[in-house]
Amino acid sequence: MNRRLVLVAYLLVGLVALAVLAIIPGGEREEFDVAHEFELQPIVELPSIGPVDLSINKAVVYLWVTTAILVVLAVVIARSIKPVPSRFQYMMETIYDLARNGIVGSVMKSGQVTWFPYIAGAFFFVLVSNLIGLVPLPFAEHNQFGFYAATANLYVTLALALCTFLFTHYAGIRKNGFFRYFAGWAPSSAPPVLRQLILVIHAVSEAFRLVSLSVRLFANMLAGHAILGVFFAMALIFQSYLAALALQMGSVLIYLFEIFVAFIQAFIFAILSAVYIGGALDQEH
Amino acid sequence: MDAESAKLLAAGISMGVGSLGPALGLGMLISKALESIARQPEVSGDIRTNMFIGIGVTEAVALYAFVIALILIFVA
Repeated sequence: MNRRLVLVAYLLVGLVALAVLAIIPGGEREEFDVAHEFELQPIVELPSIGPVDLSINKAVVYLWVTTAILVVLAVVIARSIKPVPSRFQYMMETIYDLARNGIVGSVMKSGQVTWFPYIAGAFFFVLVSNLIGLVPLPFAEHNQFGFYAATANLYVTLALALCTFLFTHYAGIRKNGFFRYFAGWAPSSAPPVLRQLILVIHAVSEAFRLVSLSVRLFANMLAGHAILGVFFAMALIFQSYLAALALQMGSVLIYLFEIFVAFIQAFIFAILSAVYIGGALDQEH
Repeated sequence: MDAESAKLLAAGISMGVGSLGPALGLGMLISKALESIARQPEVSGDIRTNMFIGIGVTEAVALYAFVIALILIFVA
């Protein structure tokens, strides 16, 4: 009986709070534009060399933070390896095992030892870069806290995809020889005219791998951050605390989903890199 | 209709229609993968890996539409 009364009291307090929230008008509408969050203003102005602008902006700082986290993590773990793993070491071993057996081991037929460092490096870099994008860091305008991910920038993901692209052909040429590698793009049993056509189609598909690999990561992170930004700014957009409260619950769900997406995108980037490099090493024809 | 509203409309349509195909494809892909995992749980690791590769490739189609929508809104 007593517990029921307490429950009813809680319910009443909650309802009153909701009613009050519905009555109070929301905050003054400030100018809010999600696209503004992704503009890159230089933090430190540096002279540009030719067409290359060397100014330090948000994306550069995020890349530095990612690198620093990875280096510190690697050094700390390498120094403190024990036969009986601590909880932290066990977690890192699980992720390492995912990169080693889940990505490289399950996709590549040969060259696993040679190409594991690159693929694991790309995996960890994209993973950490995606995850720190979900932590508010004070690099937004006027040193405000804001969400940004280096991988939500097309140039960063394009550079990463270019690494995979170059390494794919480097691996294929080194293993098979220059002419044998490019001849291996089309089956040798096909008639000559058809073979040339297949070569052209294969070359186009190789070029589109570069586009899809970079745009996939970029668009996923950009879309995720844009949705998060819109949900967080709901109080400004709807000018009502009630709507804001309801939508904040949605934003928690989206935040959790974004953590999942950060993992999945790093996994997909690494596994597609492994597929491409493995395909160049072991040509089917 | 002026150019600005046509742009916004085109962006919305490209996102909506462009995500239709990938959504159907993802549904088919994942349901088939789950079916085969249920049928042969001992190779679930391989199936999951290949499912993620397929998801990555299928999803890219929707993301092209997303990028075109962004270009329509912010660049064009």
